[in-house]
Amino acid sequence: MFDVQSLRSGYGEMSVLKDLTFSVSDEIFAVLGANGAGKTTLLKTLARLLPLQAGSLSLNGADVSRSPAYAMPDAGVAYVPQEENVFPDLSVQENLSIGGRTGHRTKAEKIEEVFALFPRLKERRGQAAGSLSGGEGQMLAVGRALMQDPKVLLLDEPSAGLSPLFVDALFSSIAETRKERGLTIVLAEQNAVKTLEIADRVMVLSLGEMHLLRPRSELQMSDITAAYHI
Amino acid sequence: MDYLIFSFSLMLVYIGLAQLLHVQFGLLGIPNFGVVGFWGLGLYGTGVLYVSYDVPLVPAIIVASLIVAVVSYVLASMVLQRSGQAILAATLAFAAMVATLVVTEKQLTNGVQGLGTIGFPFGDLASRNVVYFGVLLAVVVALIWVSAKLRDSRMGRMMIAIRDNEELAASLGKDTAGTKRTVFVVTCALMGLLGGLTAPLHQFLVPYHLAPSLTFAVWIALVLGGKSHNLGAMIGVFATFGLFDILIETYAPVPAEQAIMLPNFKLFCYGVLLVMIIMFRPAGMLGEDRPRHRARADAAPANDTAVKEG
Repeated sequence: MFDVQSLRSGYGEMSVLKDLTFSVSDEIFAVLGANGAGKTTLLKTLARLLPLQAGSLSLNGADVSRSPAYAMPDAGVAYVPQEENVFPDLSVQENLSIGGRTGHRTKAEKIEEVFALFPRLKERRGQAAGSLSGGEGQMLAVGRALMQDPKVLLLDEPSAGLSPLFVDALFSSIAETRKERGLTIVLAEQNAVKTLEIADRVMVLSLGEMHLLRPRSELQMSDITAAYHI
Repeated sequence: MDYLIFSFSLMLVYIGLAQLLHVQFGLLGIPNFGVVGFWGLGLYGTGVLYVSYDVPLVPAIIVASLIVAVVSYVLASMVLQRSGQAILAATLAFAAMVATLVVTEKQLTNGVQGLGTIGFPFGDLASRNVVYFGVLLAVVVALIWVSAKLRDSRMGRMMIAIRDNEELAASLGKDTAGTKRTVFVVTCALMGLLGGLTAPLHQFLVPYHLAPSLTFAVWIALVLGGKSHNLGAMIGVFATFGLFDILIETYAPVPAEQAIMLPNFKLFCYGVLLVMIIMFRPAGMLGEDRPRHRARADAAPANDTAVKEG
């Protein structure tokens, strides 16, 4: 899947991520860190929405360091941003029809699959996406990403701003989706407790640098909290 | 009567420009503040080709529109991926450059002395201005029809998506830069086409025709009517150009000594209207574009009850 070498990335002249080297294979790869650690920057860089300032990025052996963002869905990468993850002036159905490559199934079939997964969206199909609640918006963004039949799903803090009850359901459905579809998931989160329940490996970022990278089984909660206090 | 036909013809041009601005800004979010530049390049391009190079009117208009397309492609490649403020400043500067070149390049444009005469086509036909009005009407109706169809099309949805969140649209596999460039070039070329079609209306072209007031009038019309609706652009032109430039200036029983005040009074009224709209109805007279209207076309025939509920 992803192979990241000496990656430096950020906004304009400013570097947020410094010299990151890691790889992501067939797994749930969690990225933890406090606010400003660089989680969103990392996911945006993997989705090619931010340019690399140094280093290289390859996907399944192919160098995608200079690929445009719009080529990534065809390469099998779907990205779900943390905020502003829907098109507010389009209806729920229009939001879904914007995403999704057709492949061997029609777009209408794929939309019905999303409605089966999230029946709430079906009830709201004609409603402006901007009027959805945070949780419904998150369902819409995830559903639209799944319509692309991705091989890698980049999820940026999907639990942010959601009620605890919904967070439990969300993490269960992430684990379930991984199991059913064989997806590789890169999950950036602040909720370390819930993330550790489903992740295979965990990378902790601190101020744009890798603080640690270990399999979940070799990780203690104290290792993570230490990084949050740097 | 001839003056009325001239005024209504010019109003059609304004409606056409407002339609194109609706596509650029209302649907795609490109703040083009250089409308008069693209229109003016078409106007003067047609004039120069027709007067100085004896190119027949129709080929002259087509070539001038293509020149506008090439120029707007270059401009689009330089600025469209920058911020809204940068696009606004660049298009405004472009219009100023066109206006300046028209004055300074005297060998081509005859400078402030003006360029003419550009006659109506259709030879010796007595009512050729009426026929020409019909041609303009057909062009503008076609523009309105296309822009109305565009909004509910796949392309229209993609444009709204790019306007709402370009980064998100790119992450869904949309070539946002390419789409913006293509739409900008096509709509600017059509602004140039409208400029070329305006040349026979003015007959004699002077740099005054390229005053920024045309851009502002079209913008005011779009904001008044509602940028999200293609009909809003048309209503805005009726409420501004139609009401003031035609109805009041032609028919209002204003004493001659006060008539000189009318253009300034018009600008004052435009300003008041604009402030009122921004304060009390920021989405324009027609309001927000409701997605549920568009969603009907998308709803799966098997189950569209939720559309009605929405």
